[in-house]
Amino acid sequence: MAEAASTEERSTGRNRRVRALVTYLRDRRRLRTSLVAGPPYAVLVLFFALPVLTMLVISFRLGSITGPFTLDNYANFLASDTYRTVLWRTLLVTVEVTAIVTVVGYALAYSIVRFSRRTTLLLLLVILPFWTSYIIRMYAWINILQSGGVLDSTLVLLRVVDGPVGLLYSQEAVLIGFTYVWLPLAVLPFYASLSNMDPDLIEAAKDLGAGPIKAFFTVTLPTTANGVVTGIILVFIPTFGSFITPRLLGGTNSIMIGMVIENQFKSAFNYPFGAAIGMIISAVVVAVLLFGARGGGTLFAGGDGP
Amino acid sequence: MTLDINRRNVLKATAGLSAAGLTGTAGCLGGGSGGSSRAPTDVTEWPPEDLEGNLNLWNWYDDWAEYAKEEFGNEFGVTVTNSGYSSPDQWYAKLQSGNSEIDNIAATTNWVERSIENDFLHELPVDIMPAWENITDRVKDVSSYQKDGKTYAVPESLVLYPLTYNEEYFDEEPRSWDVLWDEAHKDRIVMWDNSTVSCQIAALYTGQDPIEPDDFGEIEEVLKQQKPLLKTYWGDYQQGMSLFVNEEAVAGPLTMGRTYTARFGEGAPVNYTAPDEGAMYTSDLFVIPKGAPNPIASLQFTNWASEKKHATKLFETMGYMPAVDIGSELSEEDRTFTEWPDSWNLVFSATLSDEVRSKYDEIWTAVKAA
Repeated sequence: MAEAASTEERSTGRNRRVRALVTYLRDRRRLRTSLVAGPPYAVLVLFFALPVLTMLVISFRLGSITGPFTLDNYANFLASDTYRTVLWRTLLVTVEVTAIVTVVGYALAYSIVRFSRRTTLLLLLVILPFWTSYIIRMYAWINILQSGGVLDSTLVLLRVVDGPVGLLYSQEAVLIGFTYVWLPLAVLPFYASLSNMDPDLIEAAKDLGAGPIKAFFTVTLPTTANGVVTGIILVFIPTFGSFITPRLLGGTNSIMIGMVIENQFKSAFNYPFGAAIGMIISAVVVAVLLFGARGGGTLFAGGDGP
Repeated sequence: MTLDINRRNVLKATAGLSAAGLTGTAGCLGGGSGGSSRAPTDVTEWPPEDLEGNLNLWNWYDDWAEYAKEEFGNEFGVTVTNSGYSSPDQWYAKLQSGNSEIDNIAATTNWVERSIENDFLHELPVDIMPAWENITDRVKDVSSYQKDGKTYAVPESLVLYPLTYNEEYFDEEPRSWDVLWDEAHKDRIVMWDNSTVSCQIAALYTGQDPIEPDDFGEIEEVLKQQKPLLKTYWGDYQQGMSLFVNEEAVAGPLTMGRTYTARFGEGAPVNYTAPDEGAMYTSDLFVIPKGAPNPIASLQFTNWASEKKHATKLFETMGYMPAVDIGSELSEEDRTFTEWPDSWNLVFSATLSDEVRSKYDEIWTAVKAA
């Protein structure tokens, strides 16, 4: 009996404390906002801002992370034809991959939204590769693209070619690998923006005399601009820093800046130089994206997006 | 009981939670020194007593580690786990941030030297370890794992970077790295996407000292000349081996272990040799990092792994030359495979100076970007 009374007393006390806390917070808007927004900001500071700041500091060291202050890492990179060539090639590959993935991904998302009934199943198939390790997917492509591999066997069987093509270890293989890996990242935002678009807008455009192509470029594309930009960003950034795909699928010319950074940490042991390259390509990516966003804004002018 | 919820109490509670969170985060980041209060040098008599109940290995000989987990675990009643790693920087980063998890690492010489320099490793009482006698003098002499009279590692195996070749393609064993510059083999030869290994091969090919070359320009030039002849630069051990197994490559650098697996595991017609100009080799060693939570079990494991039976298993599963003389334990074909003629010019892959390493990296980037 006494035990039951004690339990009830504890429960009442707890309720009273909760009510008091709620009352306290209700009157303090700034504190309430801080408690809600604080944890995400703390995570950002701890796992993004601080590491970037640390990398920035290290990038000004000479030889090792405890070395003296220097600007040599940046000067050496910018003065070297080799590194500028690698950076330029990386940019070209990244733009190619982003363009291919955007076109293919948009067509895929469009067909899912406009012409398919089993959208859930199709979306599931799109994201299915994510359940498999990146490395294993690359090894699967090695088996497909290698001389006498699945692709060659199929093409020979269909009498499209007479002998093995052997696409592996070429720039084409790298583009195929990247397209395959990043396609889901683009399809999902494309799908989201396309499925939120009001189809009556297209009908209205047609009623006003626009053909399918004009309706697409004046209505569909501008209306889904936000999704397109999101997809482009999601593809562009990881492609720029990639090093596994070109290493496994590429040939002797498939060098990308991510591979140079990797070497600084794994074989050259020049962490500050690796950090400096990392900072430079971060700046390049941000600049390209800002430029792209402005260009994209002009391209998509007229559409507010869903 | 009075309720006093005010700014001070809320701030105190928030600060407490933050501190708890940061502590937890620090734990996740491995920032604490952690580890056992015991050290391997506390053991003065063999066998060591009071082994801990767990052992966390970081051993990149995955298949052998599976065997070791079961055999050692059953023999000593220890629960063994293994984190197979693909690149030494993975465990080295953990040591840099304060190890509290890894008990035993199979580490390459250069990384062992770096770890010793930075005081990341426990000294080992090799004089009382019975299996220390099993390590051949040849291996003891070449591996650099001692400092100021103290021993910090026990050699596990020798790792040769030979010229691997297809026995059916070549009528006889190639005797020179020259085959990798021969237009007759265009698109059938490969190089390793590794700045040090590739530049050292080029140094040997051009008659230079691969540890301290005197003409970097020549190294860069011959590597650029070679580039149009190559099928690719392989960047992953499995990929390198597959090139030979699928017979897409007929000659190129590959490790002895991968050549063994390709030959005996995959049935590929491959073999290896050390060309007359020389071939590089290094060693892998067992080390016990500071902060290891189970150092005594780790010490027992290091000794156990150097017993002939288990060293033989290491060769049979991975194909690398064990640090222990196991000739009498091997089959005829395995024994033949492990024979390194005295006439071979083998160069130990001593740690490069910062200048040479940096120059090799620059050359390799320039070659790939050419």
